[in-house]
Amino acid sequence: MKKSVLLGVCASLLVGLSAFAPAQAQQPSANLMASGLVGKLEGPELILDPAKWPKSFGEAPDLAELVKAGKLPPVKDRVPAEPLVMKPLSEVGKYGGTWRRGFLGPGDWENGNRLNASDKLLFWDPTGTKIVPSVAKSWEQSADGKVIRVNLRKGMKWSDGAPFTADDFVFWFEDLYSNKDIVAAPIPDMSPGGKPGKVVKVDETTVEFQFENPHFLFVDFLAGDTLIGGGQSVRQSQGTTFGAYSPKHYLKQFLPKYSSEAQVNERAKAEGFENWVKMLHFKKDWSFNTELPTLGPWKTTRPINTPTWVLERNPYYWAVDSAGNQLPYIDKVVLTLAEDSEVINLRAIGGNYDMQERHISLSKLPVILENQQKGGYKVHLDLALHGSDTTLFINQSFKADAEVAKWLTNADFRRALSMGIDRNQLNDTFWLGIGTPGSVAPSVQMPQSPGKEYRDKYSKLDIAKANQLLDGIGLTKKDSEGYRVRTDNGERLRIQVQAVKALLPWPQQAEMIGEQWRKIGIQADVREMERTLATTRTRNNEHQIMVWTNGGTELLYLFPRHAIPVDPTEAYMGPEFATWYASNGAQGRAPTDPQMLKIYDLFKSASGQREAGDRDKTAQEIWKILVDQQYAIGTVGESPAQFGVRIVSTKLGNIPSRACIAQHCRTPSSSHAETWYFK
Amino acid sequence: MLAYIARRAVLAVLTMAAISVFAFIIIQLPPGDFVDAYIANLSASGSSVSMEEAKSLRALYGLDQPVYVQYMKWMSRVLVGDFGESMEWHRPVAEVIGDRLWLTIVLSLSALMLTWGIALPIGIYSAVRQYSALDYVFTSISFIGLAVPNFLLALVIMYFSFVLFGANVGGLFSSEFDLAPWSLAKVWDLIKHLPLPAVILALAGTAQLIRIMRANLLDELRKPYVVTARAKGMPEARVIWKYPVRAALNPFASTIAYLFPYLVSGSIIISLVLSLPTVGPLLLKALIAQDMFLAGTIVLLLGVMTVIGTFISDLVLMWVDPRIRFQMD
Repeated sequence: MKKSVLLGVCASLLVGLSAFAPAQAQQPSANLMASGLVGKLEGPELILDPAKWPKSFGEAPDLAELVKAGKLPPVKDRVPAEPLVMKPLSEVGKYGGTWRRGFLGPGDWENGNRLNASDKLLFWDPTGTKIVPSVAKSWEQSADGKVIRVNLRKGMKWSDGAPFTADDFVFWFEDLYSNKDIVAAPIPDMSPGGKPGKVVKVDETTVEFQFENPHFLFVDFLAGDTLIGGGQSVRQSQGTTFGAYSPKHYLKQFLPKYSSEAQVNERAKAEGFENWVKMLHFKKDWSFNTELPTLGPWKTTRPINTPTWVLERNPYYWAVDSAGNQLPYIDKVVLTLAEDSEVINLRAIGGNYDMQERHISLSKLPVILENQQKGGYKVHLDLALHGSDTTLFINQSFKADAEVAKWLTNADFRRALSMGIDRNQLNDTFWLGIGTPGSVAPSVQMPQSPGKEYRDKYSKLDIAKANQLLDGIGLTKKDSEGYRVRTDNGERLRIQVQAVKALLPWPQQAEMIGEQWRKIGIQADVREMERTLATTRTRNNEHQIMVWTNGGTELLYLFPRHAIPVDPTEAYMGPEFATWYASNGAQGRAPTDPQMLKIYDLFKSASGQREAGDRDKTAQEIWKILVDQQYAIGTVGESPAQFGVRIVSTKLGNIPSRACIAQHCRTPSSSHAETWYFK
Repeated sequence: MLAYIARRAVLAVLTMAAISVFAFIIIQLPPGDFVDAYIANLSASGSSVSMEEAKSLRALYGLDQPVYVQYMKWMSRVLVGDFGESMEWHRPVAEVIGDRLWLTIVLSLSALMLTWGIALPIGIYSAVRQYSALDYVFTSISFIGLAVPNFLLALVIMYFSFVLFGANVGGLFSSEFDLAPWSLAKVWDLIKHLPLPAVILALAGTAQLIRIMRANLLDELRKPYVVTARAKGMPEARVIWKYPVRAALNPFASTIAYLFPYLVSGSIIISLVLSLPTVGPLLLKALIAQDMFLAGTIVLLLGVMTVIGTFISDLVLMWVDPRIRFQMD
């Protein structure tokens, strides 16, 4: 109710928006660039040549005080001998300040995790296309792809000052990951070809990941938002225990191995936990436990389950700017609880946040722009790299209704549905004309893009062609209202579209698509559903078409589930096939569609391909088939709909004009918030 | 009399036990569980949960066990005063609710006082001076108050306070006091933030109460005993205050039953719109996230409050209305 009211306010202001929302959205990008709201992808530059590293170090005034008082070692002993050196985007910054931000409660833990995402071993550059060092200084891969060696930084320390070494990796692998009480089963990231790999210490600062099968994708996995590469903040919280390393010196006290089961259970009881496993899950979660040693630029000083989640500078952070000043510049991050994302939007417009991109809604853009001066902020629009924010996933393993299943698995039927969609109308209405209409294929900027023609293939409005295809496959008969009828009983052919109100108003968008399909004689039954009901139905293979985003697919191998049915957790394109694939054929049902089988083969072959260029080519092949077959119909993407409307206080410096908006960029972390500062 | 109270008390306990079962069943009714909701939530915000994570989460929260086992485990803890741990907040449920409970009570109570403080005098005035100019004014205002949904009012007031004063909208504290420990300054800050939500919460209720009070009193004023009192020359103020007003207050005593749960939950929609840290939004979030123990405990708490409220309202009715008391004896 409330949302539609605010939307109404926005709609009335939309008139003033014509500067960058052209009436005809054929080429929105040119106008968008001219608006000054979309800049170029940029960020701090990593200085990897030791000869260019600073020789002396600076530190924040409050830390200098502590050093003077003898409570903290001097900065040169805190920063590693081989630090990560970053040249800030514009200038060397000043220390100080509190970054005010909004969050929605403990369920919104990613809000803070992402600020700390430099605790990954490897990361992506600000354009999101190149892998760069982060916690790891460098990496090497053996010629056969079975051994990946990671070199750590000499003298690097945890946030409590204890040394960070190869032992922390071995501890994670042997004492946490391999303990069945903590991690039930090995993860695919660590088991190429189904054979579990291992983690071996070579020396204090060298670790090897060893596998029995070639695992050429492993370096990408270490850089991606994956279980193994995600970093400590996100992968060792909320009851999970992945992420490659853990603070041994702190966590070992909670493990039976280092005392006895009775002893740790007793301690757990005394601290109010059911057993030692539950205590461990709490103790290794950085958002709850303020004592946990971490590696990110900020550490929790007030836990997430209070009205204000407060992060403070990590005095042992291992990155410095080009002048040798220890990062981060900003002292504190204060995330205040809002009961609802509408409140976050309103507070952002009121200038109550210094930088907020999360939960800011694209539909509020007119109001946000109007209040720039008053709120003391500047707006940036960051365009995503994935192809389609609103994607119609067509269930290929649907079988509850044989007639409907027959059409859903017919390529020409799917192509006709896709060509019956007026993407420009959707774009103008729901994306304010800012998105780019197209197929599911990622942005042409990405190395895995199959090219511009595949952004357009079968993805432009062509009613005549669509009707021709539908007639051609035998759906010629229509009822009195002009809808095509089923071939089995002569009743109207109804296709169910299941939509959830989540990232975008998907039910309303689906209604609009349904209206558009009238012209090709297809009746869409849009079912608006509660989110959990929708996902449960998809898991039970009950849906015909599901509307969801294909976010994350810009790097296919790191997050394939929105592109190919490989993961039963979210298998909108065919739950039974995903179960079949994930269980190596033990459960589920094997697809018979030769094109689908080819996609699976190509996908599996990638981890055995040595050159990144070859793997990208394989991904391009997969995308070509996906677009050609239209298993999922893309509509509008490359938009700022998700975290892309960035509100930044004019007081902040070193802010990139455009940031990478993608899962693997851990938005906003690939822009390195630790180099931002208050002018 | 005592037997009556004892009987009611036993019934109340049984009702509470039934409520606990129903609360648990209702929370289990929607498809999926906490982990499903969690996956959907993260997926919609560009992060992912893998199959492996989902599995370990289910095991961690005991969601892989049958429902009755989960209920028995929960109940065995509830009986010793431990309501379990919230899956989302990773804290004991009692603490999570406790944080917000007293703020909710402060807010609800101030709204309630405001409602009664405005509605009763106006209601009485409108009845006594029926069809006077002011009666018409109050009547029209209260009809508008009844008709306007108060979340809309909240939005409009928020919009204007933002546009006209650039005020920080929502919440019960200014940002600088959010973190601060309790102090006089913080209390003052709370007092400054309280009127807006309290007024909004009070308005709809006020309109309703004015109408009820007016109608009740009008009924009483026409009764023969009032005429008799007047005819015997009793002063007008005494005529009205001593008997008809007291009799007209009866319905208010019976509303205590549902005031009690309201006191602890507050208004969910208003609290959401104004971002008030009360129990209402907590319940909504817990239900969406399928955070069983938290949602279950709040529903249980609401049920228990209703039962207690009903019990107390019966006692109060007995006390204010001699007719009920004498009937029983």
